[in-house]
Amino acid sequence: MDGERKAPRPLDGVRVIDLTWLQVGPQATRLLTTFGAQVIRVEWRDRKAIDFIRYTPPFAPDHARADGGRIQGVTRGHGIAGNYDRGAYFNNTNPGKYGITLNLNHPKGRDLLKRMVRDANAICENFSPGQMDKWGLGYEDLRKINPRIIYLQTTGMGKAGVYKDYVSYGPTAQAFSGLTFLSGLPEPQPPAGWGYSYLDHSPGYFGAIMLMAAIRRQRSSGIGCYIDMSQCETGLMLSGTSLLEHQITGKPTTRYGNRMPFLDWAPHGAYRCFGDDNWIAISIQSDEQWRSLVEEMGSPQWAMDSRFATAAGRKSHEDELDEKLASFTIGCDRYDLMRRLQVRGIPAGVVQKAPDRFDRDPQLKARGYYVDLPHSEIGTWPVEGFPARLSRSPADVGGPTGRAAPKLGEDNNFVYRELVGLGEAEIAELTREGVI
Amino acid sequence: MNEDLSLSSSLADLTVLEIGDQIGDYAGLLLAGLGAEVIKLEPPGGSPSRRIGPFASSAPDPERSLFFWRYNLNKKSAIVDVDRLEAQAAIEKLASQADIVLLAGEFEAVERRAETWRKLAEANPRLIVCSITPFGLDGPYRALKATDLVQMALGGIMAVCGYDPQPDGTYDTPPIAPAMWHSYHLAGEYAAVAMMAAINFRELTGQGQFIDLSVHEAVNTCTEVAIPTYVYSGMVVKRQTARHAAPNITHARLSTSADGVFMLANLSPFEREQRALAQLADQVGIGHVLGTPEFAQLEKEDRVAAAVYRNDLLVEVVGSLPANEIFHRAQAQGLAWSPIRRPEDNLDDPHFQARGSFAAIEHPELGRTLRYPGTVAIDGRTPHFSYQRRAPRLGEHTEEVMRRAGLDDARIAALRAKAAV
Repeated sequence: MDGERKAPRPLDGVRVIDLTWLQVGPQATRLLTTFGAQVIRVEWRDRKAIDFIRYTPPFAPDHARADGGRIQGVTRGHGIAGNYDRGAYFNNTNPGKYGITLNLNHPKGRDLLKRMVRDANAICENFSPGQMDKWGLGYEDLRKINPRIIYLQTTGMGKAGVYKDYVSYGPTAQAFSGLTFLSGLPEPQPPAGWGYSYLDHSPGYFGAIMLMAAIRRQRSSGIGCYIDMSQCETGLMLSGTSLLEHQITGKPTTRYGNRMPFLDWAPHGAYRCFGDDNWIAISIQSDEQWRSLVEEMGSPQWAMDSRFATAAGRKSHEDELDEKLASFTIGCDRYDLMRRLQVRGIPAGVVQKAPDRFDRDPQLKARGYYVDLPHSEIGTWPVEGFPARLSRSPADVGGPTGRAAPKLGEDNNFVYRELVGLGEAEIAELTREGVI
Repeated sequence: MNEDLSLSSSLADLTVLEIGDQIGDYAGLLLAGLGAEVIKLEPPGGSPSRRIGPFASSAPDPERSLFFWRYNLNKKSAIVDVDRLEAQAAIEKLASQADIVLLAGEFEAVERRAETWRKLAEANPRLIVCSITPFGLDGPYRALKATDLVQMALGGIMAVCGYDPQPDGTYDTPPIAPAMWHSYHLAGEYAAVAMMAAINFRELTGQGQFIDLSVHEAVNTCTEVAIPTYVYSGMVVKRQTARHAAPNITHARLSTSADGVFMLANLSPFEREQRALAQLADQVGIGHVLGTPEFAQLEKEDRVAAAVYRNDLLVEVVGSLPANEIFHRAQAQGLAWSPIRRPEDNLDDPHFQARGSFAAIEHPELGRTLRYPGTVAIDGRTPHFSYQRRAPRLGEHTEEVMRRAGLDDARIAALRAKAAV
């Protein structure tokens, strides 16, 4: 609105040079744009240097265009480079960021980056360990240029330590730290693990927490820092009580499927409902809830069995209990059953798939969770939102750009001219030399 | 050089009051790891999270809950029944001195307390109040009952985790909620992000604010390609054993080492990785045709057969040596392979020892120390998140906290008599 002064954002005036790629680094910087930081994604056009996520399918359909909205449709081959600006996943991971191209293999490219570091608050990267040092752009190098700089480096194992040169992606870190093992049915069944790279996400959240703590300190005292962030250590942080239990009992950690070994809750699991691969999760926390469930089922003979009357009894006959309960749920519509159980105060929830969450979930709709953002080539598409409402400084996933992800090099003009202060001739020359 | 640039005391000027159940313990733990003073205000019977196992004792004991120990390091505990009128004077005083109040738990309890704390924030406009509830404070699901399992189901993580379908495409195994407590982990991490944003905002404006975090939404943010894939293409990803959910069922990936440990070992189509596999096969003396003109021909004529050959060779290589040996040899060839370790396999691993990844915490009641995870990042030498003190015993810091709230011995005794502190 005209004349209305925009409320300050928590990270107003914060500039972040973002050399990250794939998921774990971009996740951290995504959360900074959400609270107002100016995040400048630095990329290069070479096939070897380009963010793999830029050409990870699926892509926006052929008819998607800058002034269009979301309509699903056919995507034909645009070639890899033709898809750089059309990726669904990339668009969801990088909203609110500025995008520039800069060739760090060129000495002038590295000089230009150093020039940008002078005015930056933070720099983030998740290259293979040692890459930045090779370029002369490691923390100790950049600190000489800007002593206040905050440097976040995210790697699988961590930059310091015995395995500092080991290669690790999210799934590697999950396997190594124990998170893959912990997920799944009891042995001898194999682990089920994770259906995605959990450790490309949580370390990103940690990165954001630390960057914001560091920015606060930098604002008040001018001190920067180096953050050697390890995906594997994050995995250990997230391994629950398994490490402690092992130290107390000396026994190897076990898996327990969807059951709850730490409380006297039973039944506790996913039960099949009517339809194709439809499931409901039910957690019975007390005898009272159990009696309500029995009533809701119409008090069948099997459920009146005295063995099931107490938590201890249900726990010790859990296999049979699960089988019997499943024989009831299989005839039920999953959402109808969820409603009926919740009315009785029983924790129950449909195992929701993507269409359930995106098209149907009334809670996400009411809270405005998905956010529509424009993209300069493929038009307006929804991106995933921030899970909390802040009353005075609301999350804004569109960040300072108000856009979804940047096209490759989309903001070269704005960044090099307005922020870095390069002249017309200089830009032309650097372009000609293959630097920007 | 003895400068300490670690962030481990960067929040040392902040006081956080933590009220509620297990949903919020981890959020407080994160702030405590960065140096904030986190005071748990517990009801006389103790926080609900003290009742969660496993226990460091044969029978459940609120002072021996490993869940409570793990998620409440560095914190203080004061018995204050925040729902009792008698405690209101003390609470008002504490609110006037606090920076952040964390309200976690079921909707009804948090909504009621939020009302109180919103009023208290009028007297201390710098106060940040952060509520963490299963679904948020409004919307049609706000009062639904949830547990970690139910949140993982509704939030979408379960649907993408589990086992391969049968050959006909139908599933004979349920979706799996990866253990343990990840809905609360996600909520805690996002709550910490939101609180750090609010703290930064307060530095600029002097104003606190109210944060309404939904565990449901926190879980929803963390399913990677599931939503973008559906939104753009209409395709729904399918769960599969120990690998990424995808619209199609991809190659099975688990292999087993000579000592019976499952390995995460796979090959990308890159030439470099194929050469690495050939090297490994050579090292362990397994004959193969990788790198020969014969194999190049097969790749040209029948890509699927070539892929099957490579995969069979991989399985044979992995099966020829113990897991740790395969791990180091594969990594030496630049392959991102890993044994699927139990968490405790890392306790004595030299890498984590060198990094100081575990904090040794004294437990006088056990007469020993326990090693806790907690370091997720270091500044090159010292941890950014740092834990030194075991979780508090119930009410261990009541006196200290009550004195800070301006109560003298007589008033503390009077409140004690009414079981309000």
